[in-house]
Amino acid sequence: MKIFQQQAEYNYSWEEVSTSNWQKYGPWNEKTPHVIAVDTLSRTIDPQTRILRTERLITCKQSAPKWVNTLLGGHETSMVYETSYVDLKAKKVTMCSMNMTCADLINVRETCIYQPASSSPDARTLFQQRAEITALCGGWQKIKNSIEQFTVERFQQNAVRGKEGFEMVLERAREVFAEQRELLQLKQDSRILQQAGM
Amino acid sequence: MSASLAPECTEVKERYDNCFLKWYSEKFLRGTATTDECEPLFKQYEKCLSKALKDRGIDKMLTEARDDNRENDAEHMQPKR
Repeated sequence: MKIFQQQAEYNYSWEEVSTSNWQKYGPWNEKTPHVIAVDTLSRTIDPQTRILRTERLITCKQSAPKWVNTLLGGHETSMVYETSYVDLKAKKVTMCSMNMTCADLINVRETCIYQPASSSPDARTLFQQRAEITALCGGWQKIKNSIEQFTVERFQQNAVRGKEGFEMVLERAREVFAEQRELLQLKQDSRILQQAGM
Repeated sequence: MSASLAPECTEVKERYDNCFLKWYSEKFLRGTATTDECEPLFKQYEKCLSKALKDRGIDKMLTEARDDNRENDAEHMQPKR
């Protein structure tokens, strides 16, 4: 088993990050074209804890090199099962995901957490990511090691691209929010003017 | 918003996603959510999606994934203060 861990901070509030998180793989993100679909399977609020639980299925275009594809069976798309938990009281988003494709050959389990950053809890958000990668295919240890190593390297590359992409989404969301507020203000102003008979 | 894995569900999915995002930012995050008013749209989307999952044989893979995920639910559905 190999472990990949990292953390990063976003210069956006936890509220903004946790909202945009739902649009992370949408068209505003130009860095994750390999994610072709994101489907919501279920969504519930726990009546006692008020924790929002969401189940999603994420479909990706396979982009692994040929040697990995050959070893893992050469699927065109891969699917990831994700459950997320939003605890509003604790201001914590936890996302757990695992691979559904090639599950008998490799096991990837990832946990990501978004929480207010202690340096500036109202304006910044801490992102923590941890993934455990275990190749299960029987046979040579050497092959298992190569597959695990390849996957860890993919996580490293995606971590950089993932942050850049999410930053794009956050920036765009803030712009759109400001535009909407401005529009609302204009509407209100014009109503006041109309009422004043001007 | 992202597409659905089933192209025929993308339109209803988009309507649901927009509804959810508004509900999440305006009600849930403010702690004023009592019901989920997007539920009717979700039902429509779910109907379309579950057929697509069945047709593609994904429903069986999902059953296994859900089974594997029980520990995560046990850990994260409990509030930590």
